[in-house]
Amino acid sequence: MEQNHIKKQINSARNSLFQQGYLDEQFIQLEDLQDDANPNFVEEIVTLFYSDSTRLIRNIETALDNYPLNFCKLDDYMHQFKGSSSSIGAKKVKEECSQFQECCKARNTQGCIAAFRQVKHEHATLKRKLETYFQVSPSNSLYNTHIISRQGA
Amino acid sequence: MTVEEIRGSVGVSNEIDRFPIGMRVLAVDDDPTCLKLLDGLLRKCQYQVTTTNQAITALKMLRENRNRFDLVISDVHMPDMDGFKLLELVGLEMDLPVIMLSGNSDPKLVMKGITHGACDYLVKPVRLEELRNIWQHVIRRKVESKSQSKSNNQDKTNNGGEGGQEAGSGDPNGKLNRKRKDEDEDVEDNGNEDDDPSSQKKPRVVWSIDLHRKFVAAVNQLGIEKAVPKRILDLMNVEGLTRENVASHLQKYRLYLKRISQQANMVVAFGGSKDASSYMRMSSLDGLGDFRTLSGSGRLPNAALSSYSPSGMLGRLNSATGVTLHSLTSPSMIQPTHPQNLTNSIGSLTKFQPVVLPTPPNHQNTNLFQGIPSSFDLGHLHQNGNKPNTQIPDFNPIDESRIFTGPSSFATLGSQSSLKMASSESFNLVSSSSSFLDVPPPMGENFHDQLPPNSSMKYGYSAATNTIPGFGSNINSTASVPLEAQGQRHGQYGKPSYSPYSSNAFSTLAAAAAAPPVNGGGLGGAVSQANDGICGVYNRSNGNGATAMQRSRETERSSTELKMGSGEEYLLEQTKLPSGFVANNGYDSLDDLMNGMMKREQDPTIMMDGEFGFDPYSFGSCIQ
Repeated sequence: MEQNHIKKQINSARNSLFQQGYLDEQFIQLEDLQDDANPNFVEEIVTLFYSDSTRLIRNIETALDNYPLNFCKLDDYMHQFKGSSSSIGAKKVKEECSQFQECCKARNTQGCIAAFRQVKHEHATLKRKLETYFQVSPSNSLYNTHIISRQGA
Repeated sequence: MTVEEIRGSVGVSNEIDRFPIGMRVLAVDDDPTCLKLLDGLLRKCQYQVTTTNQAITALKMLRENRNRFDLVISDVHMPDMDGFKLLELVGLEMDLPVIMLSGNSDPKLVMKGITHGACDYLVKPVRLEELRNIWQHVIRRKVESKSQSKSNNQDKTNNGGEGGQEAGSGDPNGKLNRKRKDEDEDVEDNGNEDDDPSSQKKPRVVWSIDLHRKFVAAVNQLGIEKAVPKRILDLMNVEGLTRENVASHLQKYRLYLKRISQQANMVVAFGGSKDASSYMRMSSLDGLGDFRTLSGSGRLPNAALSSYSPSGMLGRLNSATGVTLHSLTSPSMIQPTHPQNLTNSIGSLTKFQPVVLPTPPNHQNTNLFQGIPSSFDLGHLHQNGNKPNTQIPDFNPIDESRIFTGPSSFATLGSQSSLKMASSESFNLVSSSSSFLDVPPPMGENFHDQLPPNSSMKYGYSAATNTIPGFGSNINSTASVPLEAQGQRHGQYGKPSYSPYSSNAFSTLAAAAAAPPVNGGGLGGAVSQANDGICGVYNRSNGNGATAMQRSRETERSSTELKMGSGEEYLLEQTKLPSGFVANNGYDSLDDLMNGMMKREQDPTIMMDGEFGFDPYSFGSCIQ
């Protein structure tokens, strides 16, 4: 029962992520790839994304400090960032990325700065939510086992 | 062909019988998240996956063993090498199906993927369903290659009767077009050292520099319009080579030339000095003319240009190069030499077409110089022995790997004659697409020297789609600038020609610009101009070296690096060049060659910029 309860909680946490638009179907693809051979695939790839995207964010921040802004380069960085974000299904992050790219195309300096702030915000928010999710999600078989054993104990 | 046969030919993996299960895929993407995702998805499809985040590594793996993979999936946007370039190289060297991957669904990019030979284009994020079907591309190639080989076998037996049919029906072209991407280097292995007995795949023909040179020579001899595989095959007189091999190679060559010309056109358009057509005309007319024009000012009267076909090309290249340099990521500049011009030039000589490779911004300088050598004459004139090839060396660093040795045909064709003509005839083939340059060693080698006058350098040249109409013949000159023709045959691979040329080229160009290119002497001047334009002097003979360089260089620059070897002599010299150039016909030799070349070029430290008067020319404008 406890387990069911926990499972329900996990499911609802997951559902809310989808419903609130933080994640899209691509995330489900990630989950599908998780199996016995790759028990922690989702968490691994998300972790990878966050470590790599931190680097990209830093690059963009540096570029945003150089005036006049090099919109081509910024667009380039953002293109990469968007590609990674979309690969893990980070929906809101992706949307903010597109917004940033629009500002680049329009060569809108202030727009870019503002859009980037949004990107970072969404990026951080999703990270928190996913961390929480992974802590309780059954995808982590070890964790799950741990919970169950704890429950049972 | 039965299913079993197809399956059996898929590879040596244990899962041959269970194809597509176990299909060996090489995935390349600099983004670790995407790469991991790809890896997971592909494994889910039960493919055998190898991943790398570097295009250079991927290329190396592929070159080490062609038969190790069935399919390649590559991202478009990568830091160490443009995905399209990798695509071309893989297609040319290994003839493996390549799928492009990008976060950008812009139809223009998709189109670019197609023109570069991708068999599919996927948009990120990649989904499982899309990957489940990619095995079809592998099968398709096998099927087509098998049918090719079958007809090939028949061809062999009907040697006599075929030529006529081929020539008359235009069928080879049709076939080529049809099999464009799926060409299979048939069973006839022409000196292919990679023959893997354990593999059931047909051994691929390795287009070594020599072979390519013969090919280009044959094509030039026949004239681009009349160059049909059967006749080329007969002319080449190489044992073990099939008509299919030649046909597929010819198609690639044509595409390459086309691409170059498109590139040149693009450059032209970009430069705004002349429209592509005029460019082409100019170039064909006289190399000089074009250069002038290319210089970005389009100042040169076409008349002047007309005299130089080669120079025209170069000129175009130059400007194009310049333009392309900045604008184009792919360095290879395709010199869209007017087909007509080309033909003319070709007729006259193998024209060394300096392949002006649009050198990537970094190497722009070098490339330009490279192109210069094309004005062989100049080289002589200015043989100051100075910077001999300083330019050239530069060439190497830049993606010169693409160096088109294509023009080898030039060299062969009339290398001698072209040499003289050199000035006029040398075309600098700007291999716009670096990919071409990087053309896998076999390709590079072959093409370098052998740019058949008319062959659109399809290799590596992502030139704009303008195909220069008579380009075919012109291509010779353009494609691989037979720099050598310039007579710079100094031991250096094209370098000698370059240096005198380049330096002279620029200065000469300025001076010569006014004067219509004169054969020989004039050409020199024109050539220099051409060189200016030619960013990537293509040292064909160095094909090997060039290729090597190119390969090592990777980068966007490659596009311009078409270095055209100057003529046959050049090629010969080059191949014999002990200095740094590896005159091998193998892959590696091209790399070595290129490396050697690059080193050499770097020695003279010829800074193209400003030194040769590049600046005034388009190059200056190009290089930004």
